[in-house]
This record gives sequence, structure tokens and C-alpha cells, in this order.
Amino acid sequence: MNVSCNELDVLLPEFLDGTLTPDQEAAAAEHLATCNACALEVNELEGVTRLYKEYGALQLPDDARKRIMGALNLEA
Amino acid sequence: MPPGQAQTLRALFDEFADATYTLGYRILGDRHLAEDVVQETFIKVIHSLATYRGEGPIGGWIYRIGYREAIAISRKRRETVMDPDSVTFTTLEAPQSVEASVLQSELVTELDKAIFELSEPVRAAFTLRDIQGLSTKEVAEILDVTESAVKMRLARAREALRLRLKEYLV
Repeated sequence: MNVSCNELDVLLPEFLDGTLTPDQEAAAAEHLATCNACALEVNELEGVTRLYKEYGALQLPDDARKRIMGALNLEA
Repeated sequence: MPPGQAQTLRALFDEFADATYTLGYRILGDRHLAEDVVQETFIKVIHSLATYRGEGPIGGWIYRIGYREAIAISRKRRETVMDPDSVTFTTLEAPQSVEASVLQSELVTELDKAIFELSEPVRAAFTLRDIQGLSTKEVAEILDVTESAVKMRLARAREALRLRLKEYLV
């Protein structure tokens, strides 16, 4: 199965999530192997998710943690 | 509070406080309000734990409470238009060098600004799926929308962030 750039756009979210069927996945990979523009877009999208995975999660500050645990009567 | 229940709640707090804080901050863009989200969420968890019927993972239940708390706080302050430049951004600790620290701090600031330019429903879906790493199904249950809606929001978020952060994606 061959897919166009527009068709790949539709498949892209599930391609990034790894939830395509094997046939769709193979078709997407085949397109990406020959289309630099789409391959670049996929690289950038993967870069976005990688950056947010690395830097997007936060830690509750220690002072707030202590205060909230105190308010909830959850101190050890 | 019975000792056994306190121990369970402490374990839940240890496991989900950071994630609830992240969700609150990513929706509201304010650390103090995000702390309020954590506190209000766990007050509800304490009050409702006895009646929690174990439908689905307990994390999903806590995220759902946290999400509703964040939205409730957001609605209360809706009359105030949020300016992304006014948000207090988080900087990372333990940098490798001064130069690396500056670059990392600039990057984190840009990541924060970019995410706050998304609409609230899109940010919530992106935070839960791509930052917290939940499945699309779990995110749909927490946000009370269809999986298709989650996928659409994610696609919108990723594309907007890709265009916004292009220079950092080399």
C-alpha cells in the first residue's frame, strides 16, 4: 500500500503513538524512506514529545509538599 | 484517621502529588494555584477513598479529580486573561555548566511558553498523554471525551509545538 503526504498526515498521530496496524505502519515507513519533507516533520514531532518528556514534568516543591501533607494530616 | 488508611494515603500522595502538580501547573500556569490543585485533590481523595469502587486504575481516578479541580480554579479566574509572559517559569537544578544552565533555562522557558499558547483542553490532553505518558484511552476517560477527541487534540498540540519550537529541534 502506497500513501501520499496527505494520507501520511492522517496516519501521523497513530504512527507516533505506535498504534497503527502492521500494514499501515509499513506503508508509513515506506513513504518516510522516500519523502524528506515528511521524514523531517516526523523527526521534529518526535523531538517535541522527547523534549516534553524530558523537561515537562514538574516536582511539587518541598516546602509545599510539607505544608500540604501537614494540612492533610499525612505527616509520617 | 486510622493508621492503615493514613499509610495508604501517604503512598498515594507520594506516587501522585508530582503528577497532580504537573497537571495543575500545565493547565493553570501558576505554581501556587497548582499547589492548591494538589491540596484540593487530596482532600477529595481522603473523603472519597472509602467509597472508591476500584473501577479502573486508581491513578486515573486521582487524575480525574485533579483535572476537575484545575478546571474549577481556571473557571473562577476566567475573567483574568492570562499573559504567558507573566507566568513564573520553572528552572532546572544541577546544571552541568553555566553555559549549559543558560541554554537549558532558555529551553525550559520556551517549552513553558509554547505549551501555554495552546488552548486549555489541548494542553490537558498533551500533558496527560505526552508528559505523563498515559494511554489515549486513559486520557479520554480522565477528560471525559472520546479517544478520537484526544487524538485530535494531541495532533493539534504536537503540530503547534513543532512549529513553535522548530529551532530547538535539531
